[in-house]
Amino acid sequence: MSSAFSRSLVMSAVGVLGLGATLVHAWAVDGPQAGSGRRGQRGGNAALEERDVPAGRDFYFTRAVYTGYRRPYFTSWAIDFPKADRQFLIGLRRLTNIDAYEMENPVSLDDPDIRKYPFVYALEVGYMALTEPEVIGLREYLLAGGFLVVDDFWGTYEWRNFEAEMQRVLPGYPIVDLPLDHPLLSAFYEIGEIVQVPNVQQGALGGPTWEKDGYEPALKGIVDEKGRLMVVINWNTDLGDAWEWAENPYYPLKYSNYAYQIGINMIVYGMSH
Amino acid sequence: MASFLQSVFEFLFKYRPVVFEKGRLALATPWPLSFLLLAGAVIALLAILAYSRAKAKSRNDRFILAGLRVAALALLLFCLARPMLLIPTVIPQRNFLGVLVDDSRSMQIADRDGVPRGDFVQRNFAGPDSALRAALAERFMLRFFRFSAGTERLDEVSSVGATGGATDLAQALDAARRELAAVPLAGLILLTDGADNSESSLTETLLALKANGVPVYTIGLGREEFDRDIEISRAETPRSVLQGSSLVVDLVVEQSGYRRQTVQVNVEDDGRIVSSQEVRLPDEGEAATVRVQFTATEVGPRLFRFSIPPQPGELVTQNNVQEALIVVEDRREKILYFEGEPRFELKFIRRAVEDDENLRVVALQRTAENKFLRLGVDDAEELAAGFPKTREELFGYRAIILGSVEASFFTHDQLRMIEEFVGQRGGGLLVLGGRRALGRGGYQGTPLADVIPIVLPPDDDASVEAFFAEVTVEPTRFGLTHPVTQIAATMDESAERWPELPPVSSVNPIFEVKPGASTLLTGNSADLDDPLVVLAYQRYGRGKALALPIQDAWMWQMHADIPLDDMTHETFWQQLLRFLVSYVPDPVAVTAASDRVDPNEPVAITAEVQDETFLRVNNAEVTAQITSPSGAVSEVTLDWAVDADGEYRAAFVPEEEGLHEIRVGAAKTGEFLGEHATFVEAADLPTEYFDAEMRAPLLRQIAEETGGRFYTPETAATLAEDVSFTESGTTVIEERDLWDMPIIFLLLLLLLGTEWGYRRARGLV
Repeated sequence: MSSAFSRSLVMSAVGVLGLGATLVHAWAVDGPQAGSGRRGQRGGNAALEERDVPAGRDFYFTRAVYTGYRRPYFTSWAIDFPKADRQFLIGLRRLTNIDAYEMENPVSLDDPDIRKYPFVYALEVGYMALTEPEVIGLREYLLAGGFLVVDDFWGTYEWRNFEAEMQRVLPGYPIVDLPLDHPLLSAFYEIGEIVQVPNVQQGALGGPTWEKDGYEPALKGIVDEKGRLMVVINWNTDLGDAWEWAENPYYPLKYSNYAYQIGINMIVYGMSH
Repeated sequence: MASFLQSVFEFLFKYRPVVFEKGRLALATPWPLSFLLLAGAVIALLAILAYSRAKAKSRNDRFILAGLRVAALALLLFCLARPMLLIPTVIPQRNFLGVLVDDSRSMQIADRDGVPRGDFVQRNFAGPDSALRAALAERFMLRFFRFSAGTERLDEVSSVGATGGATDLAQALDAARRELAAVPLAGLILLTDGADNSESSLTETLLALKANGVPVYTIGLGREEFDRDIEISRAETPRSVLQGSSLVVDLVVEQSGYRRQTVQVNVEDDGRIVSSQEVRLPDEGEAATVRVQFTATEVGPRLFRFSIPPQPGELVTQNNVQEALIVVEDRREKILYFEGEPRFELKFIRRAVEDDENLRVVALQRTAENKFLRLGVDDAEELAAGFPKTREELFGYRAIILGSVEASFFTHDQLRMIEEFVGQRGGGLLVLGGRRALGRGGYQGTPLADVIPIVLPPDDDASVEAFFAEVTVEPTRFGLTHPVTQIAATMDESAERWPELPPVSSVNPIFEVKPGASTLLTGNSADLDDPLVVLAYQRYGRGKALALPIQDAWMWQMHADIPLDDMTHETFWQQLLRFLVSYVPDPVAVTAASDRVDPNEPVAITAEVQDETFLRVNNAEVTAQITSPSGAVSEVTLDWAVDADGEYRAAFVPEEEGLHEIRVGAAKTGEFLGEHATFVEAADLPTEYFDAEMRAPLLRQIAEETGGRFYTPETAATLAEDVSFTESGTTVIEERDLWDMPIIFLLLLLLLGTEWGYRRARGLV
C-alpha cells in the first residue's frame, strides 16, 4: 500500500459499508501487532527488537528493515507486517518443498546479519530514505549474491524516489524491464501476464486496481555486470496485500492467486539463479 | 686393510683364498691311509707312554706335554700324507671370455677423484698391452661387447664413448651368453656401474647363466654414494588436466652433502616459470616428498619441468630436473547436480563455477513433489523425465552432485546405477549435507552407502533428526596439501585462510570416515566433543566419491566478513568440481606406457573400449593414427588382449624426436564408439643420471649367484688369475701342494716350542 493515511479513511468507509469484518478478522487472527498502517509500525519495531530466529533452516522470508521518511509516525518497511509474511509462508510451505522458517524475519539493511539471508523482501519502497550505512549494506548484500524483491509502490513520484535510492545503492546499474519470457516467470508456475494486484480495499470493493498514476503494472529488474538478476521490482502492484488478505472472502481470488504464484516464482528463482 | 689381510693370508697359506674356494682337498700319499693312521696311532701311543714315565710334577703336566707332542706328530703325519688342492683350471687359449663394457652415459660421471668411471675401462682394456687385458689375453680368447639399452659386439674398446641413454644389464648378459653359446665359455666380465634403469628382471637371466655354468665377474665402477648431490627422483603428475586447474605435484627429493639446506624448486611450463618455492632438503639417506603447486593455463600437450638449480660442488646436475608431459584440455565437463529441494547452495554453486570455462553444472531441482526445475540443460529433452532412469542418460555426465534428497526418492535401480556410475563408469560423486541427505535421508543399507566415504549413523538413532552444529572449518594434514583445499596462493596461506572463514552449519552428524577414506576438512565447535567431517574422499572402483556434509558453504560467499572481491568460494568449488571430473574416462580411452621415451624406443599403447553405457566391447575395430612431429601419419591396428575385456594393445616406435599424437578410434560393425588421443614425446632423456651411484649389492648378487666374483678397480688386479680357476669351458685339474705351506711349519714350531717352554717353566728340563 502506498498511502496509509488515505487507506485508513477508505478502511473506515469499508467499515461503514459493512465490510468491517475484514478488519475484525485481521485483528482476531493476528492480534494488535498484525494488520497494516500504524499497527505495522509498532509491531515491526517490536519484532525487530525481539527477533529470535532459530538457525539451520533452508529459507527465511526476510523483510528488509530500512529508514523511510515523510511520516514521523509511520515506518514504511513494516506495512502488512507480519501477517503478509506469515500468510505467504503458509502458502509457500504448502505448495513447494522449501524448508522455510514459518515466521517473519525482519532484518535491517545495515545489519551484517542480513548477509545470512540471501533473499530479502522490501515494500513501500517509494518512501525509502536510506541512511548511508543502509546504502552500503544493501549494495554489498546485492553484489555478494543477495536477491531483493521490492513491491507495493505506485506512480511516478514513488518510482522516482525508489529509482533515486537505487542509484545511491547501485550507481550505474540501470533498471531494465523483465520480459514475459524471463525464466523467473516459469521458475515454478508458468506466468503469462503481469497482473496489477490492488490493495485490499480496492480489491474487495471491486474498484480500480491502480493507485495514484500507476495505471500499468510492471515487472522490472536490476542485473549485475554478468547479467544476473539482483533486484526484482514489482511496480504499480501490491503483492503484499494479496498475501495478507488472501483468506478474505471479499478479496478476489485471482489477485491472491497471482500474488502467490509470482511470489513463489521469485523465491524459487532467487534460490537457484 | 683388506689387501693387507689378503697378503698375510697368501704368505701363510701359500695361495690366495680363491684357490681354496675353487679347489678340492685331496691326499696324494703313496701309502694307504689305514697304514698312515696305524703308524700315527703307534707313534702317539709311544709318545704318551714315554711321557707317562717321564719326570712330572702332576698329572696335568703329563697330559699337556703328551697332547702337545701328539699334535706335533699328527701335523707331521698330515704332511707325510701329501695334502694337495685339486683345482679346475682353464687350458690357455682354449677358452673364450666375454667382456661386457657399459656404454651408457652414467659412465661419464667423474665420481672417483674427478676421473670418469669409463676411464678404468680405457686404461685396462683399450690397448692390447693394457695390464688387465694382457693378463686375460694370456689365458683366454677375449670377445668384447658394448651395452646400454641394447648390446653389440665391439672390436675396439677405445671406441666406447659412454653415450647410451639407458642401462639394461639383463639383456646385455642374455645377449652375450647367447652370442658365445657355441664356444667354450669360461665366463663373462661385466664392467659397469650397475646403475640399471630398465624394467627387465634379472632373475631369469641369472638362472640361465647358472644353468649354463657361466660365471659372471663384475667390476663395479664408481662410488656407492656421491659426496654432494641433489636428485629429484620422481615427479607424480596427472597425464591430463583441465585448463586452469590448480595442480599439486609430489616431487621426491634426495640429497647427499646438502643436509637440511634450503633450496629453490622451480616449475616451468614449456620454458616459462609458473611456480617457485623454497624447500628444505631431507637428512642423508632419506627421501623427502616436496609438494609444489601451480596452475595449468595453456592448452595442449605441455612439457612441465621441475628443477632445483645446481648447488655449489654438486657432482651430477642432470638429475636436478624432472620433466613431465601433461595434456591440458580445454573442454567443458558436464556435471549433474540433483537437489531435492530449493536451497541456496544450488544458486551459489552455479554462480561459483559459471566463469569456469571447463565446468558445466546441469541442475535438476525438485521444487515440489514431482515438480522439477531444470537449469543449464542442452535441450528440451534433457532431464525432462526427472532424474535419469537409464545408463545411457546418466553415464553421459562426468560427475554427479547429490543435494538434500532422500534415498527413497530413487528406485533401487537408480541407486544401483549411481553406484555403477562411480564404480564402473569411473565418474565422480559428491554428496552434500542436508535435512534429507546422508543418514537423515535413509541411505543406510542402500547401494550408495558403500560408495560414500563416510560412516552413516545408525538409521534408528533419533538424535540425528535434531542435530545442528555451526562449525569453523580446518584442513587436515592431508587437506593442507590436497589440490581441492588450496584456497590461497601458497599452501601456508591456505592453511591460515581456512580457520578465518565464517562458520558453516550442518544437520548431519558425521564424525567418522570409512577405512581407506581420507578426511580433507574438519569442523570444530565448542558444542561438539569430536570434530565434524566436513570434506572426505575415497576412491570407489574406477571412480571417486566425496562427501561434504554441510548445508551452507555459500556462507563463504555471502557472509559479511567476506570481502566482495574475495574469490575463496569460487576457488573452492571450482577446484572441488574439477577434482570430481578429473581422470573420468571416456568410453574409448588410450594410454601410452610412458609419456616420454628415447627415440626408437618402442612404446606400448593400450586402449580401453566401451560402449556408451560403459560396457566393455571385445570385437571392435580399433585403430591408432599416429602423427609424428613432421606431420607424417601412420596407422597401427590394436588387437584385443584376450586376457582383459575391452582392452586392446599395440606398440609403435617413434622414429623422430618430438611430440607424437596417438589418436585411437574404435568402431563396432560400422558403428562409431568413440575416439581419444594421447601424446608421447620422443627425446633424449637424462635417465642415466638418476640413481646413478654404483650398485655394489646388485653386482655382488650377479657374481655370487653365477659363481663369479665382485671386484672394484682396487681389487681387480687378481681378476685374470681368478677367472682361470673355473669349471666352465675347457679345463684341466691342477694339483697344488699344501704340505709346504708356511703355516704348517709355523704351527709345528709353535707346538714344539710350547712344549719346550712349558717344561722349562715347570722346571722339568
